[in-house]
Amino acid sequence: MKRFDLIIVGAGPSGLSAAIEAANRGMNVVVFDENEKPGGQLFKQIHKFFGSKEHKAKVRGFVIGEQLLKEASEAGVTVVLNATVIGLYQDKEVVVKIGDGVEHYKADSVLIATGASENMVTFEGWTLPGVIGAGAAQTMMNLHGIKPGQKVLMLGSGNVGLVVSFQLLQAGCEVVGLVDAAPRVGGYGVHAAKIARCGVPFYLSHTIVKAEGTDCVTGVTIAQVDKNFQFVEGSEKHFDVDTICLAVGLSPMSQLLKMAGCKMEDNPKRGGQVPICDEFGATSIPGIFVAGDVSGIEEASSAMIGGRIAGITAAQYLGFIDKEEQLTKCEENKKALDGLRQGMFAPKNRGKLVEKTEEGIPVSMNLLEKGFIANDEMERFPGVTHKAGVHPVMECTQNIPCNPCQDACPKHCIKIGEKITSLPAVDESVDCIGCGMCVASCSGQAIFLLDETYEEGFAAVTLPYEFLPLPKEGEKGYGLGRDGKVVCEAEVVQVKTAKAFDHTNLLTIKVPADMAMKARFYKKEA
Amino acid sequence: MGNTADVIIIGGGIIGCATAYYLAKKNVSVIVLEKDKSIGNGGSSRNGGGVRQSGRDPRELPLAMYAVEHMWPTLSEELGVDVEYHKEGNLRLGKTKKHLEILQGLTDKAQACGLKVNMIDANEVKRINPYLSDEVIGASWCPTDGHANPLTATLGFYKAARALGVRFYTGEDVIAIKKIKGIANTVVTKKNVYTGGKIILASGYASRKIAATVGIDVPMQNVLIEALVTEAEPKMFNQMLGTADADFYGHQTNHGSFVFGGASGYEEMNKDDGTQPTSSITAPCICRGIMKYIPKLADAKIVRTWAGYEDVSADGIPVISKIDEVPGLILACGFTGHGFGIAPVVGKLLSELGTDQQTTLDLKEFRYDRFKAVI
Amino acid sequence: MENIFDRSVDLGEFVPQPDDDMIVCRCEEVTKGQIRQAVHDGMFTITEIRRYLRTGMGLCQGQTCAKLVKRIVANELKVSMDVLEPASSRAPMRPIEMEVFARENN
Repeated sequence: MKRFDLIIVGAGPSGLSAAIEAANRGMNVVVFDENEKPGGQLFKQIHKFFGSKEHKAKVRGFVIGEQLLKEASEAGVTVVLNATVIGLYQDKEVVVKIGDGVEHYKADSVLIATGASENMVTFEGWTLPGVIGAGAAQTMMNLHGIKPGQKVLMLGSGNVGLVVSFQLLQAGCEVVGLVDAAPRVGGYGVHAAKIARCGVPFYLSHTIVKAEGTDCVTGVTIAQVDKNFQFVEGSEKHFDVDTICLAVGLSPMSQLLKMAGCKMEDNPKRGGQVPICDEFGATSIPGIFVAGDVSGIEEASSAMIGGRIAGITAAQYLGFIDKEEQLTKCEENKKALDGLRQGMFAPKNRGKLVEKTEEGIPVSMNLLEKGFIANDEMERFPGVTHKAGVHPVMECTQNIPCNPCQDACPKHCIKIGEKITSLPAVDESVDCIGCGMCVASCSGQAIFLLDETYEEGFAAVTLPYEFLPLPKEGEKGYGLGRDGKVVCEAEVVQVKTAKAFDHTNLLTIKVPADMAMKARFYKKEA
Repeated sequence: MGNTADVIIIGGGIIGCATAYYLAKKNVSVIVLEKDKSIGNGGSSRNGGGVRQSGRDPRELPLAMYAVEHMWPTLSEELGVDVEYHKEGNLRLGKTKKHLEILQGLTDKAQACGLKVNMIDANEVKRINPYLSDEVIGASWCPTDGHANPLTATLGFYKAARALGVRFYTGEDVIAIKKIKGIANTVVTKKNVYTGGKIILASGYASRKIAATVGIDVPMQNVLIEALVTEAEPKMFNQMLGTADADFYGHQTNHGSFVFGGASGYEEMNKDDGTQPTSSITAPCICRGIMKYIPKLADAKIVRTWAGYEDVSADGIPVISKIDEVPGLILACGFTGHGFGIAPVVGKLLSELGTDQQTTLDLKEFRYDRFKAVI
Repeated sequence: MENIFDRSVDLGEFVPQPDDDMIVCRCEEVTKGQIRQAVHDGMFTITEIRRYLRTGMGLCQGQTCAKLVKRIVANELKVSMDVLEPASSRAPMRPIEMEVFARENN
């Protein structure tokens, strides 16, 4: 029987964060993970994260994973991979499958950070090969370099469905549509806008009627649903697809906690069966802690903070630090956590329709219903201004806790202010130098540089571009509107790639002057 | 409606459900009170599914033989639920001379009671079950033994009883039986009071505490057992298996999965925290035991382990008895881990006791007042 | 279900639904109709449904269908999903070969 101060199950964002905090306070910590790679979901996240600078905003998920691993290793944490915890027995005994056998471990404290598993929905043909979870698609693409299919339909307009749809496009798949039974897009508007301008149609108030095919998926039929989620007759639409991705939520993988005898509750707000725990992640059994999705579905940033709080608390539980230090450190983290839980997508707003921004501006209903902001809705937001010469246009119209753009501008012409959820505004008194740092810094890819007086009769639009191959300067093609439809002819006048942009390329296209506020994406001439 | 019936049964396990079913068939009104949220969540769902006659105490053997002959073969049809009964024999395996001696002793006893059981050699064992290892040098063989599915059998009795109008209440925790003017006809739960012409107490080890409320005690003990379940495997054999060494017991189910019980040796000293805990060392131990006998299962995946309790009586057979001092009360407990195979006949016998009929089989060996001091 | 549950409660007639033949538990190939019928047969808890039909007892150990089954049962019983207690969690959390489980390396 091997013995540790703290055994952590799950080397994802919360588990690693907890391990770092605990080990830095002198604890002997081991982390088990059943996967061959650590990092949990982080290593599948190739997009830049939202948030504040202190909390790794604009850093891509997998990079955060690498940073955490390095920190953990420096702190002396033992991370054991391909190690499947098969049970949490009496007296905090953990049995782990490692290699060709099982090993018994005990610890004075145990932290369960096993994350979540994907939900499924049933429809005719849902068991056909080709119907997969969006997370599975992400694993295939981003961990194993395998395209899940050629033509894909995505069900679910939450952030997972939106982000994975974009990644499917990046991988070279065709996304024939994004479907959700809800009448409005569930995830961040900026994520939706990113795929809408690539031409992915949104079918809100729609759901899947059936997956077609005998041995595997060859097509899908969707139909509109009414307020009671009943199909509207005659509204069926068919698509030829080989893959159907389901992004319909996650369920905490809390079985170990239930096995250990922790008090559990069924809490739909937290995603299902979760342990009853306090604000520090302590469960009903002294010495057993939880952090991350297993204690309630959120996202990686809050999982990391939750992990830190639980790790600090475990250190206090075993006397490595005193109560005062624990409370002070946890308080700092809680403040950060509260910061992340602000804005339109805060847990308290789940399922509610927020009609006005914190600034009192009516939100774009087109964005919620179709995935993109309508041309006539754009001008009312503080990120949109007009003047001669280059200037940024920030199509960031929902209050989300994110502010890297504010610090990205060397001239400080972008203002968010104290409140991290405020919409970014342009300080028109400062001249933009057109460096494009703000464009590359925006995790939502919602910042554009406009030069409305670029040439006589023409404007230049600089947009973030994360597709390969990169267009070439001088190349001719089309400008696409926010809805992904061709609005004009366009010419690539500049392609900028820089280390500081972190793989977000800046594409500048020349479009007719009246298209300056309409053209938001570029497509090469066929 | 209300809380009154001809018979109140305490305990919604297979004994309670079977009794309710046979009573209902006699047009007797029945209420079953079950403490748990689920029907049959005690030993009824936590046993190896053996329908054995061999290895039984001679006093209990007539019940097992009756059930095998008259009840199990038609039970699926009777209940409208497939109880997956197989009457394809029981092999009790031996690997050493000492094992064979133990088996011989058991065989002699059973033969004396008129049961067809005999010793067979390694070749014969292999002929019956070619998957067994060469370490097996002999076995006792009872061709009329078998196994069934405890889960569907228990729920089958429940379903059939319910369909006949038996009222089941789950989550109903009985705290006392009360005598009214000398007759036990009242059952008090945490929230309600039920009255009936007869009360049948069949709640496993919990019967002890409830019987105590009318001054009756049956010496018994709550003993932990553990088992494991494999994924579905291609059909290999249909016999029930056991060993002279008691390393493991079990069978392959219709579904294809194997259910094997076994022990680490520390079961009687388990640290019960009320959650029916499995121990971290028992399943590996059972696995090692099984692989010595059935090497082919080495790569079968274990998908589940579970633990349960046996209500082990002081002399190894149950109490199935009216209580003289408590008129109206009938007690059925202490089944000692082999109640499942005789559950149908016990249900039938209890339904006869509950209606003051002559019982089909003699129950004098199962009286509650048989426990005496050793000297 | 903390409360006392009367198993004779009237659920009404079993009315077939067009998607009754849809598989819900794919490991054990149990259909929606079977689950609905089981509720009408008196199986009111997730534990009873599992034991009666084997839902969630296969290789994925209910990871995929647990919520789906729960929704169907809750619907049939006309109760909210959170009153139905999930089935027990049992080791091993992932299927494990007998010879691996048997080999205790420390």
